[in-house]
Amino acid sequence: MNLGFRVLAEFVSAAVVGGAVGWQLDKWFGTSPLFLLVLLLLGTAAGFWNVYRIAVKPPGRKP
Amino acid sequence: MAEAMDPIHQFNIEPIVKLHLFGLDASFTNASLFMLIIVLAASALMLFGTSKRSIVPSRLQSAAEMAYEFVANTVRMSAGNEGMKFFPFVFSLFLFVLFANLIGLIPYTFTVTSQIIVTFAFAALVIGLVIAYGVIRHGTHFLGLFVPSGVAPALLPFIVLIEVISFISRPISLSVRLFANMLAGHITLKVMGGFVAALLGAGAYAIIAPLPLAAIVALTAFELLVAVLQAYVFAILTCVYLNDAIHPGH
Repeated sequence: MNLGFRVLAEFVSAAVVGGAVGWQLDKWFGTSPLFLLVLLLLGTAAGFWNVYRIAVKPPGRKP
Repeated sequence: MAEAMDPIHQFNIEPIVKLHLFGLDASFTNASLFMLIIVLAASALMLFGTSKRSIVPSRLQSAAEMAYEFVANTVRMSAGNEGMKFFPFVFSLFLFVLFANLIGLIPYTFTVTSQIIVTFAFAALVIGLVIAYGVIRHGTHFLGLFVPSGVAPALLPFIVLIEVISFISRPISLSVRLFANMLAGHITLKVMGGFVAALLGAGAYAIIAPLPLAAIVALTAFELLVAVLQAYVFAILTCVYLNDAIHPGH
């Protein structure tokens, strides 16, 4: 359960950060919704990347 | 009654001593009071636990020693021997979160880790330390953290962007994990408690009131596990992130 929650938190937070950064960039440059979409996708990719890293090397073992 | 049944009411912050400094609300609240209690309790465990230093440890002394060895092993395992210079930091963080979670389980107490601003402050402190130490120790080489080796040059800009987003998301996932676990657990307990009270007042249905009561007992045990586990997870992830600052580059 704990690992599942960790994976969820890593994945969701990366996507949320990507979306938030994109939204703010759009607000600054007035290019809505270009950056929001691009960074939301990148954030989702970063979320998968985070999850992949957990799967490959569970933390707590010797790195 | 409505207030007693409201599962969110327990997270209200109420000022005990009102204090306004330079236009800022610096009141001494119930959250501050419990932080003070947590610090005193954690200090008391270590001070009284290590005051006798007998060969055959008392219960308190072995509790203090076990906490020390547990965290020391965690730090050594995930950040190497070099990571031991951060041991005081990780140990304080672990004890504070552990005591905050455990004390919060006692009825009528306030859980400081169920406030996202508290957990986020810790997470920001951890990431701030990682960045500061990484830059001081490695200078611009610290940025190598964002450039994994063995990536095709065409893909590099994307990978770097993804790594940066993944790095920024760390303080958020670190803080939300602890906060959400505590918040959800305490709301569940309170809702179950509300069921008991509501069923008792519902005439013939009072006969099934023991069911949610039994659920509370089971959930309290589960929350005890979550409280310790989340403190451990917070400490171990701190070590993993510090390890990145000590050895950047994959």
